[in-house]
Amino acid sequence: MEKLLGWDEILPGACLFAFGEEIKENVAQTPRDSRKYSDNNSHQAHVSDWRVTKPVFNVDHCINCQFCWVYCPDMSIISKDKKMIEVDYDHCKGCGICAEVCPTPVKSLMMVEEFKSEEETLAAWPEKKKKEAK
Amino acid sequence: MAKKYDLQEVEVLDGNVAMTHALRQAQVDVLPAYPITPSTKIVELFSQFCADGYVDGEFIRVESEHAAMSACVGASAAGARVATATASQGLAFMIEVLYQASGMRLPIVLCLSNRALAAPLNVNGDHSDMYLARDAGWIQLCSFEAQHSYDLALMAFRIGEHVDVRLPVVVNQDGFITSHTAENVHMIPDEKATAFVGELEVVNSLLDNTKPITYGVQTEENWHFEHKARQHNDLLESKSHIKKVFEEFNEKFGREYKIVEQHKVDDADMVIVCIGSTFNTSSLVVDNFREKGIKVGVIAPRVLRPFPYEEFAEALKDTKVVACLDRSSPNGAVGMLYNEISGALINNEKTPIISNYIYGLGGRDVTIELLSSVFNDLTENLKAGKLTHKVQQMLGLRGPKCEYFGEKG
Amino acid sequence: MLEIRWHSRAGQGAVTGAKGFAEVVSHTGKEVQAFAFYGSAKRGAAMTAYNRVDDKQIINNEKYMEPDYVLVLDPALVMSDSIILNHKESTTYILGTNLTRDEVLEEAPFLKGKRIHTVDCMKISLNTIGRAIPNTPMLGAFMKVSQMLPIEEFKEDMKLSLKKFPQKIIDANMDAISQAYGEVS
Ligand code: SF4
Ligand code: SF4
Repeated sequence: MEKLLGWDEILPGACLFAFGEEIKENVAQTPRDSRKYSDNNSHQAHVSDWRVTKPVFNVDHCINCQFCWVYCPDMSIISKDKKMIEVDYDHCKGCGICAEVCPTPVKSLMMVEEFKSEEETLAAWPEKKKKEAK
Repeated sequence: MAKKYDLQEVEVLDGNVAMTHALRQAQVDVLPAYPITPSTKIVELFSQFCADGYVDGEFIRVESEHAAMSACVGASAAGARVATATASQGLAFMIEVLYQASGMRLPIVLCLSNRALAAPLNVNGDHSDMYLARDAGWIQLCSFEAQHSYDLALMAFRIGEHVDVRLPVVVNQDGFITSHTAENVHMIPDEKATAFVGELEVVNSLLDNTKPITYGVQTEENWHFEHKARQHNDLLESKSHIKKVFEEFNEKFGREYKIVEQHKVDDADMVIVCIGSTFNTSSLVVDNFREKGIKVGVIAPRVLRPFPYEEFAEALKDTKVVACLDRSSPNGAVGMLYNEISGALINNEKTPIISNYIYGLGGRDVTIELLSSVFNDLTENLKAGKLTHKVQQMLGLRGPKCEYFGEKG
Repeated sequence: MLEIRWHSRAGQGAVTGAKGFAEVVSHTGKEVQAFAFYGSAKRGAAMTAYNRVDDKQIINNEKYMEPDYVLVLDPALVMSDSIILNHKESTTYILGTNLTRDEVLEEAPFLKGKRIHTVDCMKISLNTIGRAIPNTPMLGAFMKVSQMLPIEEFKEDMKLSLKKFPQKIIDANMDAISQAYGEVS
């Protein structure tokens, strides 16, 4: 339950701090789970229960174009050194934009029902079309 | 010819949808708009009506609210019947052109689903945008419920477009509370509604090639004042015409509107002055207090501009204690209603004890309990024969008590 | 005055359900109100919608409500104690869940001693309408529990308010209402 502050307690300026304390280290180099986000940070707000379907990532088809990373409205595509790594299922709301924009001929991201496991989804992934012989 | 819309006598509609039916029945020629919560539905539905053939007019997608009002100005000067809808930041972005529209005497109708102004960002209802526009030279009508939104939007065209008035009209409704609450709305059949609004009488059309004309000329110190004085005069005089339209509406459709709306004010010792849906909830509270034999009442302007000084002075001439409730942050002053009501009463023989409450900002719930607490304060003031607290208080705010202006007791 | 609070996720049709219900009830000559709490109500976020029904015009605009009925559309929300907010002794709950009454009480002990009914409106909506919009089946269940209107009369009126939809969808909704009416316990 969020604590509701009085008018004399709030931080003037409609401001909220992103981190709980002053940042001394290079945040970009700090693993996400070790960053000291403040309680107000939207990183602390999980929206996984908003999903009806979830995106599943298949590394075999991915060309690392970064479209999904650019278009995801909730920064839930984790990419490092221009390589797509995984989906952040705590913050993914299941909107399906990433799968929509994924340009590979057979999608590298597919939206599947929330209850389906990653293994069974990957096992049932559509096959790449073989190049037809001339 | 636009298609007739199949309406039941009573529809369950929210304020936005009800207003859009009024725009459709008025057969608006041009509606330029840039949708914004909580007025979006008006824009969405009107464009749907256009697409489905229920309106012959045009919906214009523009790139901003500033452009929306600019397009309204152009279309209206050309001789079209024009309307748009907005809220909050959208209205703020329109402000410059609002003054242009009224200065050019263009009878545009603006549906305003009142919403708070950022920062902090907030999509819910308060009267910040209504207050922001109040000196822009527009006639301002206030709805308390979806039925009023519909009726007032229809009447707005009749009021603004009259050749003696020729002024733009804002129809205010409380964002979300009225704009998004579906309730029983009595509908007027298309033919009757359209006939009531009538044809627009085109005045000095920009497109009349026999009499080319310029709108919005430059005037400096030797002309400007006269133009502004004429506008102020005509805005004040529009009141008599507004009354006529209200009367005609009542005769035709049996729903009564007054320049100020009152509930049990006549013999009341204590009265709340407020705007919008709070009037309705307050009426309920008034009835509760009346059951206990406490003589209270509530009064609200139906017409905020031109401001009904005379009507308030008359209605509150015997009232002993008055609370003015402003749903907009006054930012360094007393609230607008406190100022206006004090101004209206100051020349009466007797003046009541007047206090000011700021309430409901950003959609904060206006509960029966809170409104009852106001009447409890007023009862204390009545007993003491003077203010028992400072002039201005915040109602329903967290934190230590906030009160300003004047000494205690 | 009859007051109802709906709990659902944005996208499950609580607002549409509340409005549809209001429309149907208005045909019986009653005065109605239907509204919702909108925050940044993005699809999937928990939200509440409200109805008031009375014989005279409803002028109360406060959002605060002590509901006579609480209708919960989303199975996960059944477990959240937000559904008992501002409840009174007579508050009746209709819970959309695949669990039995006992299973619900086990998972959500705060409901013990309360008047609860269960119906799997999610399953019914998937089976009939083919999508997870459990609002119409919930209304079927509500008609059974509240005995507000005879079910056939309710369905006829509901058909009217759905008239802009294709016949197939109307039929599916009617099926959903009947099933929920029969299954709620
Ligand atoms: S489904 Fe939407 S929120 Fe989730 S990763 Fe894809 S784009 Fe982001
Ligand atoms: S859009 Fe598709 S191909 Fe491009 S990086 Fe994302 S998953 Fe890989």
